[in-house]
Amino acid sequence: MNISKLILSFILSITLLTQASWAQIASTEALFKQTETLSSKDKIIQFTARQDVAKILAQMDVEPTMIKDRVAAMTDEEASKFANEIDTLPAGGDAVGALIGAVVFVFIVLLITDVLGLTKVFDFTRTVR
Amino acid sequence: MKGNYHLHLLLALATVLMMSGCASKEPLLSTERYNSSSIKVPFVAPRSDLCGATSIEMVSSYWQSITPYTPRLSQEELDARTLIPAKGGTLQVELMATARANGLLAYTLTPTLDALLQELEKQHPVIVLVNRSYSWYPLWHYAPVTGYNKKDQTILMHFSDRPNEAINIATFKRLWERSGNWGIVLIPPGYLPASASSKAFLRSAYDLEKTGMRDQAIIAYKSALQRWPKDIDILFALANAYYHSNKFTAAEKYYRKLLSIEPLHPLALNNLSDLLCHTGRHNEALKTIKKADSNNIEIQSIINATQKKILSGCTLQASPKK
Repeated sequence: MNISKLILSFILSITLLTQASWAQIASTEALFKQTETLSSKDKIIQFTARQDVAKILAQMDVEPTMIKDRVAAMTDEEASKFANEIDTLPAGGDAVGALIGAVVFVFIVLLITDVLGLTKVFDFTRTVR
Repeated sequence: MKGNYHLHLLLALATVLMMSGCASKEPLLSTERYNSSSIKVPFVAPRSDLCGATSIEMVSSYWQSITPYTPRLSQEELDARTLIPAKGGTLQVELMATARANGLLAYTLTPTLDALLQELEKQHPVIVLVNRSYSWYPLWHYAPVTGYNKKDQTILMHFSDRPNEAINIATFKRLWERSGNWGIVLIPPGYLPASASSKAFLRSAYDLEKTGMRDQAIIAYKSALQRWPKDIDILFALANAYYHSNKFTAAEKYYRKLLSIEPLHPLALNNLSDLLCHTGRHNEALKTIKKADSNNIEIQSIINATQKKILSGCTLQASPKK
């Protein structure tokens, strides 16, 4: 067992223990789930989802000092969605950078569709309608 | 032309029905149902790949200009929390997480033009995700919608470097439907989205609580109670939030209010008994827990544990704080 696994299991055991001490209070979570308390298994899955999110953010060149805050700001559902669907989730950004790499054909097609009001890629176009 | 003719006929029919004083059975077109709106959202110039951050910034400064709300994050923090360099943009989940961290409640809009126009009419800007291109060459973009012009049939939005750009509604619909009509209302916790359902709003408020903003969540629950005063779930969430903040008197008040509406609510009975136990009212706690009963095995096991705790003199696992 390497150090990181040791740390992981240590943090995990603390998380589970502190959760267990509130066991008698039925949580608000019960309103959104079929079962009213999360099983230990669910907690482990969600905990590893957060670990995955941290890893993905690091791989995707996110500033390392921000990773902890960013992971903490997500709910469990958001963290799971992030970890499981990162490859397919859309990321809203600017069109400009992406367009530089586009070939002339794409440029012209999108220019025409812009004018027809089917798309809005370019800021300088006005639709004919 | 033919389409236009039918449209006019439909409108004329609707008008006649309304003038004759009976409710129209035919649903009105959503573009006709709502009035024009123009929301004074301060414009922020685009920063490379940061339309997520600037959208939050614009909406936050709008609320700051008309309510006591103060943003919690600086511009640099907004940027650093939203950008994923390798993706060249911001994910929806992080847009919402960052908006919450900035002190706003993030409510996911029902994905319809109706809901959008309803919010705009109430002067609530909506951040939408649009695909400016096609699915085979997606160019995703976030922008705050700042109004609707009924006469011209345009949607106004701070689009890229153009403040209040008027976009033909047909074009807007195409861009927007490519994201599944995804939009969010960011709003200070004391205010409610115009189109909100109680369940969906409660979820958004609870998301604040789960991410370490319990005080903000309490404000949101309380404003939700003004619109839905007898909503059991909201009462339960509010009572729990007070309990976790060690505000026992307030928690008790809302558990009791819930039980006055639904006297046998097993979770509320359980939590109230626990609270009575913690505040030294042993007999009353025992009387209350005896009323609690559930077919759900897990709920019943919680009730049993609470009962055991009360019988042992309320000493078992005394009030640990997370």
